[in-house]
Amino acid sequence: MIDPYYLQQLAIGLSLGMTYALMAIGFTLIFGVLNVVNFAHGEIYTLGAFAGLVVISATAPPVVAVIFAVLAAGALAGFSLERLAFKPFRRFTDEASLKSRAMRESTLLSSLAVSIVAREALELLFGSQMRSAPAEYLINTPVRVGPVILVTGDFIIFGVAAVMLVGLQYLLTRTRAGLAIRAVSNNPLGAKYVGIDTDRTIILTFVVGSMMGAAAGILMGLYYGAVFPAMGFVPGIKAFVAMVMGGLSSIPGAVICALILGVSESMATTFVSSGWSDMVAYGFLILTLVFFPNGLFGARRERV
Amino acid sequence: MTRLLDIRNASRRFGGVLAVNDVTAHVDEGELVGLIGPNGAGKTTLFNLISGFTPLSSGTVAFGGRPLAGLTTNQVARLGMSRTFQNLRVFPNMTVFDNVSVGAVGALPQGALGALFGGLSESGRQRSADISRRTWEALEAVGLTQVAGELAANLPYGQRKYLEIARALAMKPRFLILDEPAAGLNDTETRDLAAFIKRLHGQGLTVMLVEHDMTLVMGICQRILVLASGRKIADGTPDAIRNDPAVLEAYLGVDA
Repeated sequence: MIDPYYLQQLAIGLSLGMTYALMAIGFTLIFGVLNVVNFAHGEIYTLGAFAGLVVISATAPPVVAVIFAVLAAGALAGFSLERLAFKPFRRFTDEASLKSRAMRESTLLSSLAVSIVAREALELLFGSQMRSAPAEYLINTPVRVGPVILVTGDFIIFGVAAVMLVGLQYLLTRTRAGLAIRAVSNNPLGAKYVGIDTDRTIILTFVVGSMMGAAAGILMGLYYGAVFPAMGFVPGIKAFVAMVMGGLSSIPGAVICALILGVSESMATTFVSSGWSDMVAYGFLILTLVFFPNGLFGARRERV
Repeated sequence: MTRLLDIRNASRRFGGVLAVNDVTAHVDEGELVGLIGPNGAGKTTLFNLISGFTPLSSGTVAFGGRPLAGLTTNQVARLGMSRTFQNLRVFPNMTVFDNVSVGAVGALPQGALGALFGGLSESGRQRSADISRRTWEALEAVGLTQVAGELAANLPYGQRKYLEIARALAMKPRFLILDEPAAGLNDTETRDLAAFIKRLHGQGLTVMLVEHDMTLVMGICQRILVLASGRKIADGTPDAIRNDPAVLEAYLGVDA
């Protein structure tokens, strides 16, 4: 029989991994379509958390209303982000520039710039200290499952991540919008010449990905009971690592790698010390890149 | 005969280079027209001007009587102008069926909400049925129904060409532009392709063929446009083109 202590640590690791996965899904969706890294995804997450917090503290609405407010904020943020940081660098008139390094690097920097401006703006508006929602909104009531203690938020996060994955799969494979997204991700010019509005498709991708990021933000804010302007930074990095390990454009791959990251971090905390947890996570990234340059799930060439 | 494509005094300048220089040409409804010219003649640029991909420096292009100035490529495509590419642009990680569906989806535009939740309403289901029917028709036309479930990346080169044509046909275009369809095909395959293009034309489709393969162009086109150094140097039947001194000079460099 395994010591319940280790089971508890495993559970903590899985739930930590789920939180990274939540973030990684939207991140990978945007990368898969545009082949660019959206460094502002962490700030979308923060913005989602603040939008939720503002709505909660202003009117104390039912949870459903909070969710809608957060999703709307995420959609708006995704739309503005695409117009501000990505659209100006996407020159369809010049075929060679579409998936070029210059395009990737300039949008990487422009999205980083937007993320810094957004983070500082939030700090000016709200201050840098942590805020918390009223206790009745928090999702950290302990729940005992056999020998292990979880909190309600663990189940909610698992549920939301599952819904996101299934919903995204449905969107991509069963709807006409998804067909257009996959076409643009495969070959934007080919799509354009058969009448697909590539611009609108890309905006839609950002909106969907950012709605997921914003939802992840408010969930995590209520899970940890802390909302602050820099909260998106570390999860953003972890989601990036999960995406790279997962093979860059495989969403299920990113989710699995997010879980591996979470578990390995919690194992490092258990067996070594908490100071080593990030070392283990980034060590995994380096090992993956050395031995599987295409990522753990990249070889199948399954995009989006 | 109605005029389908009307190009007037079209020019395109890239820096100091006039890639297309004052070209006036037209294509009538129901024609099968060839566009030829030596490398660097401006064929691709003219193409891009017609499809709205590159803006004109001066001149006008009208399609079906409608000026195309200010329209984006996908809007022009929706007016019924479809094309294939010399270096294929199929969607490699999608099935053959989905590849062709994109053409049908592109031709039947709708709002974002409809595209997301269209399956829930009656008109949305009707549209889905339309898309599916168009897709199967196009697959049938090129003979790819057997491999509808395959990933496009797994098809041999020749079939990928037909896949791209099927994708264009799923749009039910009025005007189909084929950019070097015979490139990379052997003689037998080229002959099959010629028969296929003639069949499409026979069904009433207006076709423009941009091609290096002279036997193909001379064999099936009713009329041929010749570009050289950005200018139109000849416009006539295959026989007239074959004996045109300006064309011979452009191709062979002989002094006429």
